[in-house]
Amino acid sequence: MNSEPLILTKQLTKSFGDKLAVDQVSLEVVGGEIFGFLGPNGAGKTTTIKMIVGLLQPTAGEVYVAGYDVQAEPLAAKAVKGYVPDTPNLYKKLSGREFLRFVGDLYGMEAARVDRRIEEMHKLFDLSEAIDQTIDSYSHGMQQKTALAAALLHDPKVLVLDEPTVGLDPKSARLIKDILRQMTDRGAAVFLSTHILEIAERMCDRIGIIHQGRLIAVGTMDELRSLSLSQAGTSLEDIFLTLTGGAEYTEIADVLS
Amino acid sequence: MEPLKLQNRQHSGLIASVLVLLRMRLVLIVGGFRRATWRGKVGYLLLVVLILVGMGFAFYLSWQLLKLIRSPEISLLMGDLGQITAALPGFVVTAAFVGLFLTSFGFLLQALYLAGDMDFLLSSPLPIRAVFLAKLLQAVLPNFAFVLLFGLPVLYGLGYVGAYRWLYYPLVLLVLVAVASAAAGLASLIVMLVVRVFPARRIAEVLGLVVGVSSIICSQSGQLANFGDLSPAQTTQAFSALARFNSPLIPMYWSGQGLVAVGTGSWLTGSVLVVATLLVCGGLFMVSLAAAEKMYYSGWAGMQGSLQRKKAPNRVRNRAASGRSRYWSYRLLPQAVQALLKKDLLVLRRDLRNLSQIITPLILGVVYTVMLVRGRANGTEASDAPIWFQDAISSLAVYANVGIAIFVAWMLLNRLGLVAFSQEGPSYWVLKSAPVSERRLLVGKYLLTALPAFVLSGTFFVVISILRQTPTMAFLYGLLALSFCIVGAAGVSLSFGVLGARFDWQDPRKMASGGAGCVGSIAVMGFLGVSFLLFAGPTLIAAGIGWEPWLAQAVGLLLGGLFCLLAAGLPILTLSKRVGAFMET
Repeated sequence: MNSEPLILTKQLTKSFGDKLAVDQVSLEVVGGEIFGFLGPNGAGKTTTIKMIVGLLQPTAGEVYVAGYDVQAEPLAAKAVKGYVPDTPNLYKKLSGREFLRFVGDLYGMEAARVDRRIEEMHKLFDLSEAIDQTIDSYSHGMQQKTALAAALLHDPKVLVLDEPTVGLDPKSARLIKDILRQMTDRGAAVFLSTHILEIAERMCDRIGIIHQGRLIAVGTMDELRSLSLSQAGTSLEDIFLTLTGGAEYTEIADVLS
Repeated sequence: MEPLKLQNRQHSGLIASVLVLLRMRLVLIVGGFRRATWRGKVGYLLLVVLILVGMGFAFYLSWQLLKLIRSPEISLLMGDLGQITAALPGFVVTAAFVGLFLTSFGFLLQALYLAGDMDFLLSSPLPIRAVFLAKLLQAVLPNFAFVLLFGLPVLYGLGYVGAYRWLYYPLVLLVLVAVASAAAGLASLIVMLVVRVFPARRIAEVLGLVVGVSSIICSQSGQLANFGDLSPAQTTQAFSALARFNSPLIPMYWSGQGLVAVGTGSWLTGSVLVVATLLVCGGLFMVSLAAAEKMYYSGWAGMQGSLQRKKAPNRVRNRAASGRSRYWSYRLLPQAVQALLKKDLLVLRRDLRNLSQIITPLILGVVYTVMLVRGRANGTEASDAPIWFQDAISSLAVYANVGIAIFVAWMLLNRLGLVAFSQEGPSYWVLKSAPVSERRLLVGKYLLTALPAFVLSGTFFVVISILRQTPTMAFLYGLLALSFCIVGAAGVSLSFGVLGARFDWQDPRKMASGGAGCVGSIAVMGFLGVSFLLFAGPTLIAAGIGWEPWLAQAVGLLLGGLFCLLAAGLPILTLSKRVGAFMET
């Protein structure tokens, strides 16, 4: 694992009017690491991710991607990262191939390299049948895979994924896990948010938990256990519920059942 | 747990379930009105008043027209028009059926396949037939109201003029309801059949294109027809086309004849024909409803009957092989700008809803060109006006070519510039997260706005100039002036496109935010008017002040050119920050 942080946020804050969505979040993700970002609905995960990839301007604080200040050098920071949003809104009237070529051109890739990477991607994601059909005929899962292919097209050093496994079949979800591991093996940093705690527990080297805009815990599974005063073997679900105050719902569920 | 209540609802009857669904729709409408701004509420109320006034006016107009048709003076001039008035009910009912069938098709396609609430409704404890009935009623009611707006005053006017029996009036309403139900039922059946073959979204796009183009052709065809030259004989002939609806081969003939028979007191003929109409319409409605419902529920209509076309493999060519031919263009434009332009043009071409908006200026351009050429062919008579005035008018006639081309450009610029960014919709994240500067995005969108307008209106200008045999110098000057006008207007249009950009739309018709769209459109028109004056003004007054034509044209080019170039640079130089802040909320 590389010790140099490829994603670094310092006191990152975002407010929308009176509402404080993200409150002084500071974290770092180093090369070769998969960082899982967890939190209840509306905790500020997507807002944090959007600030990291340059889609939202922070109200305060700083973000660095691969050493580039996202505010001061946005183009350099964007060029080294790949991003998959939670909802893959793609251009419906383009075919998968046309969309990937478009993305390749936006990232300044050479035509020959783009074509080679597209061949690799559609074989990898099993999109060969659909690659020349327009995206409006794709299922949600296929659109998700196309968005992931677009994010990987330029072989980014930093990959940011917002709920990447939503809508994917188990085979594709497993494929994504394998790809992410391969990327980190090559020294890339992966930052992903997910609601599926089992994925976070199995895949992520470190986990950050955000609650009401504040980063309330960061660390490996063992570190989180000690932080939540849990015993060895406690699941991430229990740790998550203890830290975010959702444990009482488990009791309600028990009563209802 | 109270399964009993659910069971009760399930068996509470078709009508009750339909009412539940219609009440939900009503709640949505009332809620929409309550949440509307004061301006919106006043607008709604004004609309209702206008509709009522319109109905009253239509009734009065029909009454007076029918009285006129029956008058002895008109009979002397145009012969007996009694056959025409007798055919009127059949014509109105047929028109109502065809109109309701066509409009219901679009509504039902939307309601059954594109609205996205069918799964929710069909999984609720309501009879499937109730869901279908409610959807049919939702589709047909607004159009039925429209039919009533125009059809009822005509039919009631006819009854009033002909002093028809009282039974005629409620039967007119009943027949129209029956016809509307049959049309909606048949439309639902056709929707099921068509969706089996083509994807619903594609059909909606094609329908949008056809409706858009047809309505613009219909609205403009009157401009080309010379109604003023019609003789009384031709008018009578045109009117007697109506009498053809009095044929027993047309099913709606029965209803029309039946209504007239009831009105005139021929009870037996009238009741047989009206009852036959009601039975046929009711039967058609029930059969269509049952068949459509079965097709939908069995999934038959949802399955694509034909395999999707596969793209030919030769289309998937390696771009590296064509790299050399693209080399020169890479040097002219950055790769990202080219990619953006290429993507936008592809999307523009493939989305038929866009295509209809682009075809509109073409149709209007053709119509006005024909009018202009025809106007010139009609000849100009010798005038007593001073020579300088005649010269000015002659110059103005030359610049009418530019005027038409500018009009075509204006319509295109409204479509392209004002929604240049908005058309990205929720997909804008692709551009915003890519390493492309805001200025390059602006350049790409500027080219998207200017190039199609330039190509289309330039082509128009060349064609009109050839048709009107414009002198070479005037042609060249006009082409330059037109180019500069488009260069500047594209800048103004794009500026408003940036200021009014919105990415949260679901319906493509709401891409342009109301205020920016309307003001932008007026501003572009104003800009084009001012630039046109700057180019044409010196030439128009040249003869009056004793300037040589070349000098006037040079002054025009200088004034207009500078003004247009300034406007072209406006968005690219000043709005980068605004583009950077897109999607921030």
